Amino acid sequence: MDSTPTIPVQRPSRWDEPLDASMTDADVAWLRTRGPFNQMDQSAFPRATPLSGILRYDCRLHRVEPGEVIVREGDYGNSAFLLITGNVRVLVDSLTDQQLGRQPTRSIGWGEALSRFLRRSRHPETRTPEQVSINAAAGGHQAIRQVDDRPAIFLQDIEGVLRRHESVSLGPGELFGEVAAMYRSPRTATVIAETEAALVEIRWQGLRILRRDRRFADTLEQHYRRHWLPIHLREIPLLRYLPEENMQRVIEATELRSYGRMEWNADYKKTRKLHPADQIAAEPLVVDQGQLPTELIVVRSGFGRMCVRHGAAHRTVAYLGKGHLFGIDEIAYNAMRPESMRPIHYQHSLRAVGFLDALSIPIEVFAAEVLPHIRKSELPESARSLQKSFTEKRSDRRRVRSDQRSEAADRFSPDPTQDIEHAAGVSFESTSLLEFIVQHRLNNGREAMVIDLHRCTRCDDCVKACADVHDGNPRFVRQGIVHDRLQFVQACMHCSDPVCMIGCPTGAITRDQTTGVVSIHDPICVGCGVCAAACPYENIAMAEVVDRKGRPYVDEKSGNAIRKAAKCDQCSGLPSGPACAAACPHDALVRIDLSESPPLSDWLEKRS
Amino acid sequence: MNRSQGPRLRTRRLVALSVTLVVIAIFWGITRWETSRLGMPAFFTGFTLLAGLFLLMLLGVRRRLPFWPLGSVSTWTQIHLYVGIFTTAIYVLHVPALIAGGVLEGCLSIIFLMVTASGFYGIYASRTLPKKLTAVEGQHRFDRIDWVRNQIAAAADKACRQISETSAKQVLETFYQQALSPFFVSRPTLAYVIAPNGNRRRRLLGDLKELDRYLEEDGRRVAGQLAALVRRRDDLDYQFALQLRLRCWVVFHSLLSLVLLAVSLIHMVIVLRLVG
Repeated sequence: MDSTPTIPVQRPSRWDEPLDASMTDADVAWLRTRGPFNQMDQSAFPRATPLSGILRYDCRLHRVEPGEVIVREGDYGNSAFLLITGNVRVLVDSLTDQQLGRQPTRSIGWGEALSRFLRRSRHPETRTPEQVSINAAAGGHQAIRQVDDRPAIFLQDIEGVLRRHESVSLGPGELFGEVAAMYRSPRTATVIAETEAALVEIRWQGLRILRRDRRFADTLEQHYRRHWLPIHLREIPLLRYLPEENMQRVIEATELRSYGRMEWNADYKKTRKLHPADQIAAEPLVVDQGQLPTELIVVRSGFGRMCVRHGAAHRTVAYLGKGHLFGIDEIAYNAMRPESMRPIHYQHSLRAVGFLDALSIPIEVFAAEVLPHIRKSELPESARSLQKSFTEKRSDRRRVRSDQRSEAADRFSPDPTQDIEHAAGVSFESTSLLEFIVQHRLNNGREAMVIDLHRCTRCDDCVKACADVHDGNPRFVRQGIVHDRLQFVQACMHCSDPVCMIGCPTGAITRDQTTGVVSIHDPICVGCGVCAAACPYENIAMAEVVDRKGRPYVDEKSGNAIRKAAKCDQCSGLPSGPACAAACPHDALVRIDLSESPPLSDWLEKRS
Repeated sequence: MNRSQGPRLRTRRLVALSVTLVVIAIFWGITRWETSRLGMPAFFTGFTLLAGLFLLMLLGVRRRLPFWPLGSVSTWTQIHLYVGIFTTAIYVLHVPALIAGGVLEGCLSIIFLMVTASGFYGIYASRTLPKKLTAVEGQHRFDRIDWVRNQIAAAADKACRQISETSAKQVLETFYQQALSPFFVSRPTLAYVIAPNGNRRRRLLGDLKELDRYLEEDGRRVAGQLAALVRRRDDLDYQFALQLRLRCWVVFHSLLSLVLLAVSLIHMVIVLRLVG
């Protein structure tokens, strides 16, 4: 008999961490009397995750006051909101940054840049009263107020805003924010409370299980398919020549699938230390190498790892990000091959790194509707050689469609003369660098700071320049993980998947829609530290702020120090651009997009 | 890795060097022409030198103005480098001997040559030392080196206290007190900072290895930990020595450049007064 001693522990369960620990049985019972929960089929839910459990652990009740901003356009979020009582307004027009309490990025002239440099503070993290709180600048109007136990931001002149901007009213039973929550995309509209209202916030995990109710799922599915899928498909460059009728057939056949955990940042510290083989084994499998291709996978959001069996393990050959395709080589080849040739199987596996949302286009739809409208130069090499015979077979159909094609091309392509590059993923010739980048999720970085240690003389001119343009406060430290001769510095990477932006109670951390720079708006930052805790790379610091005489700001009620989140803002607005890169005397430092391979490959080639 | 870009860098360097040499040749030609018509080429080369010095000083100005879009400092460094080569050549055309006669002129020559030599050493150092720094385990920030040094010393002290075997305690504690503690607690010597080498490391690791035969399992484990800490500390000192050298070089080169500019101006004023 086996007498090995055992250690009894409580098995971790699905709802160990509820969204709101203060939800009571009474709250759940009340919610179940409200639509759509009162119409849900309870038998559709698994025994381990009943409807009451979802309401109890994956939901939170909110009371909002008139004028309160519930979600802001451009924000990222993990939750959808269901209106229980009252009314909210969805603003069709975009609000200005000032209306949302944010400071718009302002271009600073040479004179002002010099004046700021000369008037640098002697104390770290100096702020003016207006920068510390928007309430100080709002002329008596409390732009940030406590509603129950949370800070909330309010629009000024709500009636004027509603009069000037087009908006849509939502009433009890209506859901909003579900697309951003489910598919990790920025919110597309700002929603404000028109009257006092009660809302249920449902986190995405709960929302996914709620889809087991057929009626609820159908409503969500129809909404997504009607409003969002066409937009998402049209964002795919390879489909830019697709005529409208073909596009409609693609829309009908496409399915959206999700893999992995959206809160990948919570596990990041643990998983990055795993052996690559263990990490790959732990990643959810999307497509297995050796399967016969049945669908083209288009990455909608998140990250994928393309790997190939190598000996007893898997070797990473590329990583995929938004807009990248998986399986196009095999599918194009199989669709164009003569009947005498055997079809090929998927040559690689695809796994979700963290989370992966993918659009899946069935092979027959892709071959019939999309393939004839792809440029030869954009086809994979293997399929290009077969294209001639394939083109002849389809020449009649193409002639008929030529007029429609030109119309579609005008509509969808900003520059139709340009071929699409790297549509099938990102790879480096150095496998170890690739493994390193994926292991540490550096492929999330759009403006990662990379230092070539073979050139860097450790002079810290980059840090000094950063401090000089930020009132004496450097926004990064020259340290970070090292691979070979490259150091990936702990500076904000302005990520593709900005997890730091999820959960900010006042929308103080935002992404500039034109530049992609993620920055913090001091006046509405309440210093809660949610962003700093969420950033897996630890690139956001919380700093206690002082005035120009060095006197600390404190909360007038609690006496606690006022803290603000501080991070790299890419020197937005400065005439010089990022000062760190410009200050390096040996061209050792670069801000680079790691979500694509060419920038880093080119940079490395230049110094090889 | 594709090396197609490699030649492009080499081409850039070749073009820049060629242009510099051509400009030097033109200036040499002008000087010869001036000499042949009994002119005073020293005026021409002298003012060119002074202009070159001002141009060289602009790198320092650019470094202090990070907020203006004046081009990257690396571009300015490249310009600085080739202007430096040009200025050295003009100096050779300007002076009658490598070190001119007279107190002021002699000093000026020596300062110029020191600045030039430090500049050329800078090119060598900035291209070789970073690779040496990267080859060593751990990338330490200069301002944190003291803190890391204290951490290593504390870890060594803790490791020594962990020994439970009486025999090992006696052997290792004695060795720790005599050899390791002074090594961990003190900063590296000036000799080491000037010319870092592996002698200390080899000696201490060899001595620790020697102790193995007096130790049992627990003692050997602690000796292994101490050996790892010796390596870490030596790597840290190596980083410190090389980083300090790079920093000292910048300070030396820039301070001496300021002195050079000041003495050059004095020299110019004196020459102009003498010429009338």
